[in-house]
Amino acid sequence: MAVKALLIDTVRCTGCRGCQVACKQWNKRPAEKTEFFAGPGYQNPKDLSKDTWCLVTYNEVEIGGRFEWVFGKKQCMHCLVPACVSACPVAALERVETERSSAVIYHKHKCLGCRYCMLACPFLVPRFEFDSPNPYITKCTMCFDRQEQGELPACAKACPTGAITFGDRAELIAEAQRRIATNPSVYHHHIYGLEEAGGTCVLHISNVPFEQLGYFTDIPHRALATTANTAMQAIPLVMFGAAVVLGLSYQLRNRTRQGEPPRAHG
Amino acid sequence: MTNHWIDMVNTDVAMICGSNAAENHPIAARWLQKAKDNGTIILSCDPRYTRTTAFADYYCKMRSGTDIAFVGGIINYALQNDRIDREYVRHYTNATFVIRPEYDFNDGLFSGYNPDGDPPRYDSSKWGYELDESGVPRRDMTMEHPRCVFQLLKKHFARYDLETVCSVTGADPETYRKICDVYTSTWAPGRVGTWLYAMGTTQHTHGTQNIRTYVILQLLLGNVGKAGGGINALRGESNVQGSTDMALLFHILPGYLKTPAVGLETLQDYLNKYTPKSNDPLSANWWQNYPKYMVSLLKAFWGDHATAENDFCYSYLGKISGNLSYISLFEAMYAGKIKGLFCFGQNPAVAGPNANKERDALANLDWLVCVDLFESDTSVFWKRAGVDPGQIQTEVFLLPALASMEKEGSVVNSGRWAQWRYKAADGPGEALSDAAVITRLVLALKELYQQGGQFPDPIVNLSWDYNVDSHGEPDIHMVAAEYNGYYTSGPNRGRQVASFAKLAADGSTCSGNWLYCGSYIDYADGKGPELEDGPHITQVRGRKTINRMAKRFAEDPAGLPPGRCIGLNPDWSWCWPVNRRIIYNRASVDLHGNPWDPKRWVIRWNAEAGKWEGDVPDGGWPPMANPDGSENPKTKRPFIMRPEGVACLFAPSLADGPFPEHYEPLESPISNPFSSRQYNPVIKVWEPDKIGTPDEFPVVATTYRVCEHWQAGNMTRNTPWLVELVPDVFVEMSPILARELGGVRNGDWVIVTSKRGRIRARALVTNRFEPFFVGGRYVHQIGIPWHWGYNGLATGDSANLLTPHVGDANTMIPEYKAFLCRVEKEEVA
Repeated sequence: MAVKALLIDTVRCTGCRGCQVACKQWNKRPAEKTEFFAGPGYQNPKDLSKDTWCLVTYNEVEIGGRFEWVFGKKQCMHCLVPACVSACPVAALERVETERSSAVIYHKHKCLGCRYCMLACPFLVPRFEFDSPNPYITKCTMCFDRQEQGELPACAKACPTGAITFGDRAELIAEAQRRIATNPSVYHHHIYGLEEAGGTCVLHISNVPFEQLGYFTDIPHRALATTANTAMQAIPLVMFGAAVVLGLSYQLRNRTRQGEPPRAHG
Repeated sequence: MTNHWIDMVNTDVAMICGSNAAENHPIAARWLQKAKDNGTIILSCDPRYTRTTAFADYYCKMRSGTDIAFVGGIINYALQNDRIDREYVRHYTNATFVIRPEYDFNDGLFSGYNPDGDPPRYDSSKWGYELDESGVPRRDMTMEHPRCVFQLLKKHFARYDLETVCSVTGADPETYRKICDVYTSTWAPGRVGTWLYAMGTTQHTHGTQNIRTYVILQLLLGNVGKAGGGINALRGESNVQGSTDMALLFHILPGYLKTPAVGLETLQDYLNKYTPKSNDPLSANWWQNYPKYMVSLLKAFWGDHATAENDFCYSYLGKISGNLSYISLFEAMYAGKIKGLFCFGQNPAVAGPNANKERDALANLDWLVCVDLFESDTSVFWKRAGVDPGQIQTEVFLLPALASMEKEGSVVNSGRWAQWRYKAADGPGEALSDAAVITRLVLALKELYQQGGQFPDPIVNLSWDYNVDSHGEPDIHMVAAEYNGYYTSGPNRGRQVASFAKLAADGSTCSGNWLYCGSYIDYADGKGPELEDGPHITQVRGRKTINRMAKRFAEDPAGLPPGRCIGLNPDWSWCWPVNRRIIYNRASVDLHGNPWDPKRWVIRWNAEAGKWEGDVPDGGWPPMANPDGSENPKTKRPFIMRPEGVACLFAPSLADGPFPEHYEPLESPISNPFSSRQYNPVIKVWEPDKIGTPDEFPVVATTYRVCEHWQAGNMTRNTPWLVELVPDVFVEMSPILARELGGVRNGDWVIVTSKRGRIRARALVTNRFEPFFVGGRYVHQIGIPWHWGYNGLATGDSANLLTPHVGDANTMIPEYKAFLCRVEKEEVA
């Protein structure tokens, strides 16, 4: 089964946003109404939304005492053990791995609109169609349909510099490690997505620490589903244990009363 | 470009100066990224920190309009520190040429200056080479003669010392010295540097001389003709390279021939004037073939009507009476002298300098025809805010045009690669290609002129044999085949001419553009993979032909000898001239024909076979030296398009001087410290009383582009996804200027005013702009993307309302890039 991934290398990114437009074009998402800019530099729109599944962030940072401009890319991280999948009561979200493709995809027809996935996702990715009378969740699909046709995801295809590459997760991790090892003074020594949330299929490397790109960095290095899992797995034990305890205590109380004559009415 | 896009992978140092390549030519970043993976250093020199700078290794800031000082300083650094490729300079440039004593330079003026003309001009005969008895330029091979070009060059640029340069450009001295050091490291034969430039270089009153500084530096470093080197203009519009090749400019005919001027009555007069002569037997002086190209062009225009007896219909060509470039046309239009205008895919209401004047000028036309994909700002100039349509008598037509994917044809990239494209989709409604619009016009005119009129012959006799269909669409393959050219008579009659070396001046060949001769050939003249079946195999006029522009065979690196995988891809499309991918490549080898840089060789001499290997050599003549070191009389010097045969450090044929000299832009915050000439002494200034001065307009302004929008915005401001990214016009400024304006915050509205107009825009306050310390004080600069206009999905004020109606001394390209303005915070009511 394929475990496919995207590698985002912000050192190679020129902030051109070919990826952002390619994503909109492929997925036929409409443009949002924007005004001026929503971040330092040219960022638009402000955040991911029901219509914006790929967002390039503009960040003015300092590297070695010098002013620099660095670009990030926000999108669904396609976790190996997704919290959204775990939280969804009806399995509308699913992690799929086929012979040649993998992604965390969404089945519209099953969705309740409960939005538990939005609460569960540590990266705050899934978005909801609040202004629709028949609202659904939307997010990046890692162009699963294109993958199945042997094509690259739209963002990877559009990227002129190879800042976005697509391939087997293990190979991309090796490549990321190689780039960091070959240019240790350029890269920040961390692969974002390697272990965050238990490992994701969108991996990022950069020349600055990731909080400077507007990424969330307080993500535990284990699948978030494990927290719920532990609690969920405990429930039968707890229920059984409670039943035993309560049953025993009832028996105990009953036994002390056994010697007494039945009470007369009245 | 002398080189091409993929070739950038080969460079050691890429200088991006006068260009924001990662922003506006994103694909350049693809090849530069691959170069970076191999250790290439990228330098970004720009008035502000751009998306290219984010990509680069070193950044040096410089005030807009000071490129000659900036690069002049690097030239001086190279000369003073002997970081030059001496042998290359000695043999391949005119460094050794001795200049006649009349040449002089003093206080900003070269000898021969006549201040009385409008514009003033130079008498360039004062800048002549000293000739020997045979009429060949005298050379001092030691380069010590006080009047040899090398010594004159050194003396001229000795004034461009680091301190002076930094005080004019505002560059930080330490950073500037680093840039000089890194770039001039490419002087060594085993290292090479490429220079990438675009509008930041050209759109100045001294734009041509800006480029000259790059040429001089690249020649001193021995970087021209080599893989990873060259002078590389990143062309703007697609298809501007094709446009200029096909001569959509007033002063040229297809293939960069010259438009005849009034006074050149006969073909011989014209050819005498423009065919250069050289007495040097070692100079190929390729332009001596000019008559062949001109006669072949006339045969393409007028077919069988053009004969030797009637000067090949030379008299049918319009003769120009002066400078009729873009600005001149709009000045004439403003004065009511022009009746009608065809505007194909152009939007002067937004793109023209001094846009207020240009919009008003349009109102003086009797008729205006706009041919475009969308309704453009220009096509609705007559109902824009602030004008009364009732007062405008211009009749405006808007014709729907096909987009580039809706028609078949070639597009030429900056690397001179003419890449044929198929039609991918049908266009909407009645949209037509430009070729069809023109064809229908020509055929209608021909019919009308049959009935009489003033001098009908040039139109009635015009050859227009393109199998035009019922919509007016010509068979574009027949057009392409004609600009390649074919034999008009003799045993080969009808056969495509295989190369421009075969074009003739006797009328036996026709060719719509001699540079494209070889792009569309008879199948019988093909060789190699192009003989295989594929979309490049076509049929024209009943003959089996090869459209080389449609070839798509990529190079297989595994099949190449060591050092030869430099990305030439000779079977991927076709480039001019004669598919030579790197021009002047005979300068990439030493006098014996051995590559200066064997690990990236372009051509090399195979002595056994007696011919060159690698790229198409820039002339098949043998190397300059015999194995024993003596001069080979059968050779030719490498820069074959120059009558001298060598490249020009000293260029006597330009309007504003044989050497570049720093002048301030027309509007500048300081007085020129280099001389008492404030701005270029030979530019045409139409309104000398309307020049902005620093007391009223203290801020330097420039205009530029963003990746998300395209030129005057007619396409991109109507595309919702792009409008979402960049909806509004904005002004980038430093936080210090923002504070000085009374606390402008990011996103606040500001008013920017120049001598010509005013705009309202959002302030983008950023550290990417810093003030410049020039002339002993701090000067601020702002930048405005110019894509906006009053029409379209996204609207906004046009930055060109502010720019001046003044242009380069040689080309008249407008000075969009450096002028003065005033910035004010908009007071909220």
